[in-house]
Amino acid sequence: MKTLRIPMAMLLMLFAAACVTINVYFPAEAAEKAADRIIKDVYGEQPAAPREPAAEPQSRFQPQVLPARYRYGLLDWLVSPAHAEADLSVNTPAISQLKADMEQRHRQLAPHYTSGAVGMTHDGEIAIRDQTLLALKDRNTVKTLVAKENRDRGALYAEIARANGHPEWEGEIRQTFARRWVDNAPGGWWYSSASGSWKQK
Amino acid sequence: MITDRSARTAGLLTVILLAGAVLTADALESVNLKLGRVTGPGWSVDELESRLVWRDAQRAALLLTATRARLPEPFGSIAGLQLDCPDALIAADEVACSRARLVFSSDRIGPQQVRTGFSYRFSDRRLQLDLANIRLDGGRLSVHATQAAHGWDLTLQADGLQLDAVAARLAAAGILPVRIDGTGTLSITAELQGKAARPETGRLSARLESSAFSDAEGRLAGENLELQLDADVAAAGTRWRVSGELSAQQGQLYIDPVFVDMAKTPVHATTRFDWHPDQRRISLHAFDYDQPGTVSLHADGRLDIDASSMIETLSVDVREGVFPGLYDTYFQPWLINTVLADLDTEGKLSAQLYWQDRGLASVRLRPEGLTIHDREARFGFGGLEAQIDWAAQGPLRESQLAWEQGHVYRVPLGPSQLQVESAGSSVRLREPARIAVLDGELQVDEFELEYAPGTASRWHVDGLLTPVSMSDLTRALGWPEFGGRLSGMIPDVNYRDGDLSVGGMLLVRVFDGDITLSKLRLAQPLSVVPRLWVDARATNIDLETLTRTFSFGRIEGRLDGRVDELYMESWRPVSFDAAFATPPDDKSRHRISQKAVDNISSIGGGGLSGALSRSFMRFFKDFPYDRLGLSCRLENGTCEMGGVAPAANGYYIVKSRLLPPRLDVIGYADRVDWDSLVSQLVAVTRRQGAVVK
Repeated sequence: MKTLRIPMAMLLMLFAAACVTINVYFPAEAAEKAADRIIKDVYGEQPAAPREPAAEPQSRFQPQVLPARYRYGLLDWLVSPAHAEADLSVNTPAISQLKADMEQRHRQLAPHYTSGAVGMTHDGEIAIRDQTLLALKDRNTVKTLVAKENRDRGALYAEIARANGHPEWEGEIRQTFARRWVDNAPGGWWYSSASGSWKQK
Repeated sequence: MITDRSARTAGLLTVILLAGAVLTADALESVNLKLGRVTGPGWSVDELESRLVWRDAQRAALLLTATRARLPEPFGSIAGLQLDCPDALIAADEVACSRARLVFSSDRIGPQQVRTGFSYRFSDRRLQLDLANIRLDGGRLSVHATQAAHGWDLTLQADGLQLDAVAARLAAAGILPVRIDGTGTLSITAELQGKAARPETGRLSARLESSAFSDAEGRLAGENLELQLDADVAAAGTRWRVSGELSAQQGQLYIDPVFVDMAKTPVHATTRFDWHPDQRRISLHAFDYDQPGTVSLHADGRLDIDASSMIETLSVDVREGVFPGLYDTYFQPWLINTVLADLDTEGKLSAQLYWQDRGLASVRLRPEGLTIHDREARFGFGGLEAQIDWAAQGPLRESQLAWEQGHVYRVPLGPSQLQVESAGSSVRLREPARIAVLDGELQVDEFELEYAPGTASRWHVDGLLTPVSMSDLTRALGWPEFGGRLSGMIPDVNYRDGDLSVGGMLLVRVFDGDITLSKLRLAQPLSVVPRLWVDARATNIDLETLTRTFSFGRIEGRLDGRVDELYMESWRPVSFDAAFATPPDDKSRHRISQKAVDNISSIGGGGLSGALSRSFMRFFKDFPYDRLGLSCRLENGTCEMGGVAPAANGYYIVKSRLLPPRLDVIGYADRVDWDSLVSQLVAVTRRQGAVVK
């Protein structure tokens, strides 16, 4: 009996240890999904999910709707049990505000992505790729837009990491976004590799 | 170089023509002379041949040929040289050819057929040379040179030079640091006078007209540009005296990152300086830059061309800077990554800046009637007047700063004046400042700012907020208006790395009770994501006033409460732990109206209102109650709700007295979405707004 129990206990400990380890890993899939949700809204490829209408009085009788993260959490749990607890919440007021600002700014930036004047960088930001494509009078306007966009993107990555209780994930979230900005972009836009060379999608 | 060349050309010609002259004496009809290779310092001519055919005693046809010639830089080498002068004058005291043709092919300027003429007088050794129709960079160049005993002068006139060709030539020669492509023409007139090998005075006049040009990276670019440059140069001892004038009336110019639209604001600049070639230094006597409606400045100083920081000393006097032009054109491009990146500006500025020992030594700024307004509406100031004095070293400098009105976010600031003194990298308030905030005042007794290049700036404030009317504040913030007063002791405000923490306590006297705010901390208040932390305590709030203000439906009684660890991002709550309830020892009258019951149940997840309206209870306008209260722990967008006491499957929001009519409001939803809760609250208070008084 004893010989049987010790391995059993060890197995349990191992299992527990394994669980702890899993939670430390960066939830790559969830991060991609979160990034895609935000990026698609910013790019405006699909309209932003309509805001929940101001609840009518009778809504009090309905079971309280859980916030979105729990629903996505459930989905993630079905898809990938290991990451069940590591879904990324992107529903804080700051993230919503950042996203709204970026959506609005995107309308001004989009023609410059198309022309190739502005491109996506490998670190999840944007940069002036070729300012000769910009009218002289527009150059500083576009530079200001680019600076503001990068400021907001930096804040967004930090905010997502912080809102999920892992400020140290910021770098990985940035990397995830860097890939997804490019993957979700329409053909013809430019992006740079880590070496700084530009490629056209 | 040019003097060398003209001197040697003269010498060469003299030799050849003298040879001709000597041979004439022998009455020969024609002379062929093969000189072979002729060399001098920096130049050589191969297979030089001359042929002279006499027409009469003084006139001859001259033909001079050479297969190759190597000339001093920057003239390169030429081949197939042929000088054909059909009617040369060869007299005892003068040799001249007024209409000659020079044909050659240059590795620098290609094949050429040049009209030329020359003359040489033996008596005073006067040499004159004209070259016309030299094809250069798509245009035409003509040269006129004379040399006499008193000195020489050289005039170059170039018209219709193509900008990109000239730029390529200058870039190849290392004169222009970048290659420029584009369309445009350049016309140049240059005059140079000198003695022997030494130029003494010069004059340059150049005009550039370009529809568009740019370097490869677009860091230097222009459109529809018309530039006129005039300069005078004179040698004085070992130095060169230069004075110049530049004017641009048309077009746009972009010199990264500054964009100047000269069609809107023409540019005119003049300068006088001495160039010391031996020391590689410039003594700048004057540089005056005028752009009407934008800036007018004067500068002088001393520059070391080869040093990494070129400025040895420099004083810049901005006599008049006019906003918004000054900000839009010259400030904004440098402020793109700061909170000052996107401002509407108006007003004027004068400034004196002084650099010494290669560093900024002092600054004086005098804004007049300046208005700045952040386009993201975070802050703004109007009627800014200041006398700002700063010096890197030396005694304390005093500065004043005043504004007529301002705002930080939506909180308006009234007229205020600050007196500060600064030394090096610290700034201190000289006397207590009073900053008008709505109808109150922020009295700042102490303010100290420390900053140093490369380190985080930090400041410290000791102050007091005299009562501010809440009705003004709530109106300014766009909240439902309510009375009361906000005041506070703020003895210890610290700012460091963009984080602002407030020691002491802010007191809000409102609804006949007190709300105290403590542990207030603000992180990056002007950034994209401002964060705020605060603890709040409410005591003895009069519910009747509160419910009347928010049109909620009448409730009588008192309320205590707490909001612990309220955390806000972008001014919206993210988390807190709050509970409000009737104080345990409250002796006031406790009544709640039917409307209030309806509203509470509609937002609290209760289940009574419908029943209430239909039942006999509707005959009562209001009900007595024992206690009421609500708690919410907000986290992850969800409020964990609670009441004053647990009930079966829920919690009491309103707990009745023992005596009838008895009414309990029980909440069943223990988790409520915060955004829905807020929108329900807003809907309730809006809907009821007109009804309840």
